[in-house]
Amino acid sequence: MIKCENLQKTYPLKKLHGYQALKGLDLSIEAGEFAAITGPSGCGKSTLLNIIGFLDNPSAGHYLFRGRNVSSFSDSERSGLRLSEVGFIFQSFNLLPRFTALDNVRLPMLYLGEGSAETEERALALLARVGLKGKETHTPLELSGGERQRVGVARALANNPKLLLADEPTGNLDSGTGIEVMQLLTQLNREGLTVIMVTHDMNLAGKASRIIRMKDGAIES
Amino acid sequence: MRISESLRTGTLEIFHHKMRSFLTFFAISIGVISIMYSLTMIYSMNFRTKKALEVVGYGRMQVQTKQSYQETTTMDKKEARDNLSLEDAQALHTNFPELPMVSPLMFSGGEFTYGDFHDWNRVAGITTEWKKRGWVYKVRGRFLNQHDIDTYARVCVIIQNGGWFKKPQWMKFYGWKDDFQEYIKHHDLLGRTVKLGDNLYTVVGILEEPPLEKNPKTFLDLEGWEAKILIPITTLQRLMGGSWGWAEPGSIESIQIDTGRAVTVPVYRRRIEKLLQARHGGRLRLDVKDFGEIIKTKMADKHRDMYTVLIIGAIAILAGGIGIMNVTLATIYSRIKEIGIRRAIGATRGDIMAQFIIEAMLLGFFGGIAGILISMTGIQYLAANGDTDMMMVQWWMPLVSVVAAVLTGFIASLYPAYQASKLDPVEALRYE
Repeated sequence: MIKCENLQKTYPLKKLHGYQALKGLDLSIEAGEFAAITGPSGCGKSTLLNIIGFLDNPSAGHYLFRGRNVSSFSDSERSGLRLSEVGFIFQSFNLLPRFTALDNVRLPMLYLGEGSAETEERALALLARVGLKGKETHTPLELSGGERQRVGVARALANNPKLLLADEPTGNLDSGTGIEVMQLLTQLNREGLTVIMVTHDMNLAGKASRIIRMKDGAIES
Repeated sequence: MRISESLRTGTLEIFHHKMRSFLTFFAISIGVISIMYSLTMIYSMNFRTKKALEVVGYGRMQVQTKQSYQETTTMDKKEARDNLSLEDAQALHTNFPELPMVSPLMFSGGEFTYGDFHDWNRVAGITTEWKKRGWVYKVRGRFLNQHDIDTYARVCVIIQNGGWFKKPQWMKFYGWKDDFQEYIKHHDLLGRTVKLGDNLYTVVGILEEPPLEKNPKTFLDLEGWEAKILIPITTLQRLMGGSWGWAEPGSIESIQIDTGRAVTVPVYRRRIEKLLQARHGGRLRLDVKDFGEIIKTKMADKHRDMYTVLIIGAIAILAGGIGIMNVTLATIYSRIKEIGIRRAIGATRGDIMAQFIIEAMLLGFFGGIAGILISMTGIQYLAANGDTDMMMVQWWMPLVSVVAAVLTGFIASLYPAYQASKLDPVEALRYE
C-alpha cells in the first residue's frame, strides 16, 4: 500500500544549510498492517507520518501510495487524498471546540460535498460505533479525554479511509482510557483498515503487528 | 463544502463573537445609513429637476437687457443703450407666431394696504401670456384678460401660497413668517379694493397654489423671489414705473419665451436676437438665458452637497470595510489551529478561503440589515417631519445598500482569506 524510497525531508533554516529530518528512508507497508513507529524525540517520526498522510511533501525521494507516485502532487490533490484516503488521529485530539461531537464528525463528509441528512445519519452511526451514543450534542469541552479521542477516531473514519494515521493517540490519556482507545484501533485493524501509529510507549507498540524503530531520520529496524 | 453549511458555520462564528460582531455591524451600518441618505437625496434631486422641467417646459428661454451696472468697463457702463419694450414682445409674437409663449414681464414694488394691514410687496406686470408659464394654480374669481391689458385697468390678481401639509423642521426653526400670506389666508380679498402704491386696485382673482409638497416650484426656485401680486403690464408701466421706478418709460424688464422643445432653443435664440437687434439698430445689450442653463446653475449647489454626503458615506463604508478586514485578520490569527485541523481532515485552500469570505460577507449582510433598519426609521421620522427629500425613498434603495455592504465584506475579506489559505497545514496544526 505504501512504498517509500530514499525519502528525504529537509527543513530550511536561516543561514545554515537546513535541518535534515529524514535522511533517505526506505519503508513499505502492506494493506491491512498495524504498524507502530517508535523512536526517541526528534528522530523524524512525526515528519514521516505527515508525509505519509499527505500533509507534507518530501524534499527528495519517492512516495508511492497504492501504486501512485504522490511525492510531487499539488496542494489541492493532496487535500483530496487527505479527505478520502486517510484519517488522522492526533495526540491533542484537535477537535473544533465550538462544534458538537456530531458536527466534528460530519465535517470531513461536508468537505466531500455530501448533503446534510445523509452525513448526519452516518455520523450518528460512527459515534455509536465508538461508544458515544447519547453524547452527540456535547461539545468537546463537555467530554472527557477518552471521549474526545473517540470523537477523533469517529471523525477519522468519516469518509471510509483506507489508511488510519495516529500520532501518539494515547499520549494525553490515562492508562485505562489509553487501553480502550488502543482496543478500538486494534479492532478497526482487524476489520481490514491499515493503521500506522506513532508512539513512545513500547507497551502500546507491542500491540501492533509490526514495530518500526527510527533513529536520526532513518529506520533502525 | 456546500454553501448552506458554510452559511451555518459563518453564522455560528458571528454568534460566538458577539462584541466583535457588534462593532463590525456598527461600522457597516453607519456606512449603509449614509448610502441610504445619499441615494434618497440623489433620487429626490433628479426627480425634482425632471418635474420642474416638465412644468416649465424644456424649451424655455429668457431675454433680458444687460443693465449698466452689470457691465465691467466704464465705457460700456456709460454707453447709451436701448431697452426692451412691449412692442418688442409684440413683434416677436407677430414674426414667430409658432412660439407657444412670448410673455413680457415688468417688476416693481409698492406698499400694499387694506384696512389696517399694510406690507411692502413685489408686484409683477404681466400679459395674458403669463398663464402659459408653469400654471399650477387653482383660480378663484378670474385671471387678467386682454381687456385689462388694453385698458390699463386697475385690477390685480393675488397668488396665495399653498402652505405645507407638514411644515419642515427648519421652517419652524427660523420662525420666518410671510405677513402678507398670513393676512390673505385669513381675509378673503376677492372683489375688494386694495391700495397698491399710490393707486386703488380691484382684486379680481385669487390664484391658489397647491400645497408646497406637491408644487414642483417649491423644489426648484427658478424665478427667485416670486411676486405674489400681478397687475396688467400696461398699468404697471403707467402707474408704478418698472424696476422700482428706475426704468425708462415704456420699457420692460424681460421677455420669457417658450420655444416648445429643447432642441429649438438655440435656433430661436439666434433668430430672436437678430430680430430684436434689427428693431433697435444694434443698440440693445441682450442677455439671453435658456432655462436649461439656469436649472443647471441652481442644481450645482445641491450637487455639491450631495457629493459631500456621498463621500462621507463612502468613507464610512470604507471604515467598515477596514473593520471587517481587521476583524477577519484577527480571527485568522486566533483560529490558526482550527485552520490546521480543517486542512488536515481534507479542506482545500479554496475551502478555507470560502469559509472566511462567507463569514465576512455575512458580517456585511447583518450589518447592512441593521443599517437599513436604523436608516429607514430615521428616514420615516424625517419624512414625517416634512423633509420632502426623505419622502422620496424608493424600495430599491435598501437593496442597493445591503448589496454594497455585502460587497464590502467580500472585498475586505479577500486578502485575509488568502492569507489564511496560504498557511502550511503542518505549521498550523502545531500552533498553540
